[in-house]
Amino acid sequence: MRKMRGGLIAVGTVGMAYGAWLLLSRQDLGQIVEVVLWLAAAVVVHDGILAPAVLALGWLGGRLLPRAVARGAVTVLVLLGPTVLVAIPVLGRFGAKADNPTLLDRDYTLGLLGFAVLCVCAGVAVALGELRSRQPTRASVEEE
Amino acid sequence: MRIPSEDSFTSRLRSAAVAARVGLWLGICFGVTLATGLISHYAQGDSQPVPLPTNPSWFYQVTQGLHVVTGTAAIPLLLVKLWVVFPKLFQPVPRQVREALPTALERGSIAILVSTSLVQLTTGLLNVAQWYPWGFSFRTTHYALAFVAVGALLVHIAVKLPVIRDALTGDVDDTAHDRPNARQAGPVSRRGVLVLAGTSALAAAFLYTAGTVPGVGRIAALSSRSRKHGIPINRTAHSARVVAGASSSAYRLELVHGATSRALSREDLVAMEQRSSTLPIACVEGWSATGEWRGVRLRDLLDLVGAPTGRDVRIRSIQTFSASADTVLPANFADDARTLMALELDGETLSMDHGYPVRLIAPDRPGVMQTKWVSRIEVL
Repeated sequence: MRKMRGGLIAVGTVGMAYGAWLLLSRQDLGQIVEVVLWLAAAVVVHDGILAPAVLALGWLGGRLLPRAVARGAVTVLVLLGPTVLVAIPVLGRFGAKADNPTLLDRDYTLGLLGFAVLCVCAGVAVALGELRSRQPTRASVEEE
Repeated sequence: MRIPSEDSFTSRLRSAAVAARVGLWLGICFGVTLATGLISHYAQGDSQPVPLPTNPSWFYQVTQGLHVVTGTAAIPLLLVKLWVVFPKLFQPVPRQVREALPTALERGSIAILVSTSLVQLTTGLLNVAQWYPWGFSFRTTHYALAFVAVGALLVHIAVKLPVIRDALTGDVDDTAHDRPNARQAGPVSRRGVLVLAGTSALAAAFLYTAGTVPGVGRIAALSSRSRKHGIPINRTAHSARVVAGASSSAYRLELVHGATSRALSREDLVAMEQRSSTLPIACVEGWSATGEWRGVRLRDLLDLVGAPTGRDVRIRSIQTFSASADTVLPANFADDARTLMALELDGETLSMDHGYPVRLIAPDRPGVMQTKWVSRIEVL
């Protein structure tokens, strides 16, 4: 185990160094600075905006929603949340080109709405399942 | 509002048992994207010391499809993983230098891992939708950061190996490696979170990448491509600024082998023996679509200028400013009987956007290297 960990650290460090060298040696300074800005921005956006927002949702949900509804809400959040982020490039059609009708050739708003409906259905099913399974066994759960 | 400490987070879902399992899936995704990404990078290189095989003809289609599928699936997994381990961001730094240094190094490697992972997945995602809100080279940066991300991942795995081993061999509800106050039952079980994370990853990957898959492509609602218009087009003749050159009656396909050269008009090509190949166009962006191509076998053209077999061939396009306008076709591809200078696609004259008057189509080659609007073939 000790050898394996040492080996992994060595290979990993070489990998990082090689990647950094590739990054620094193949583009001009302006491009490198922009990559570094993207790396920093990624952490700021995730740790500073996205994670606190999800945290706040969890905090609110935990206080306001009954358990069964919270279960449904978590289901919807985990299924739908990441896909909404994934959909941003196509929803905004940022890469669309007027002369290329084969690129971004769907109604993405409608598509995402359809998926959202499926996720909400899954959430409702989960919440109902929770309610149904709890009622007859409430006594036994409380005994635990 | 005060800054939270690690102990502010009490959910029992934020556990090593969950992190290790999501991490395992994420690690598999990263491994697949690295391997397939290296294949793609190599396939696009101008010199291939060891040429890639021409068989099976769908090999690149599968590896690059997997690259984009696993990369997209990694997005929900990474978000869930970061949620699970988020309290670690607020861990106190040890006061003593002796302990602080390894902690700082480990945290530094985590920062690198998180930021490069987020950037890799984001830039890859945007590239699929051809959205480039940056000034750096996508290919160079995506290639370089891949080594940084996977290197940082290996360091992370090494540091966590004892915990990972315990967590993966133990029960998912095991609390051996959890903080003492991370005991609060959430609305879903740990198993529930894992099921949701896995389903979310599969759903995102399917919706975003399956647009050209026969049968199910229609319901892949977030895919940037479909089969509605036949084989999708990446660069149009208009945007490549080749419309005038490609439709000119002065167009000739030049064949060059040392001192021997021939110039053929499109009519000359049509008059030669026509062959058919059923081959996919497989784009680096992950989509692929198979077409029925018809045209002149490249080997027949090479014979016209007396080129022996086993020679690499340089293929040039009318298009001038693109990296793919001047590429080398390795000898095994040039000599393959399926490699055509195509004049027709799916029973119709090649459209201007598909590379009229003539384009290259070879088995198992990245779409970007299937040169359109070919103007010159030079035996090397």
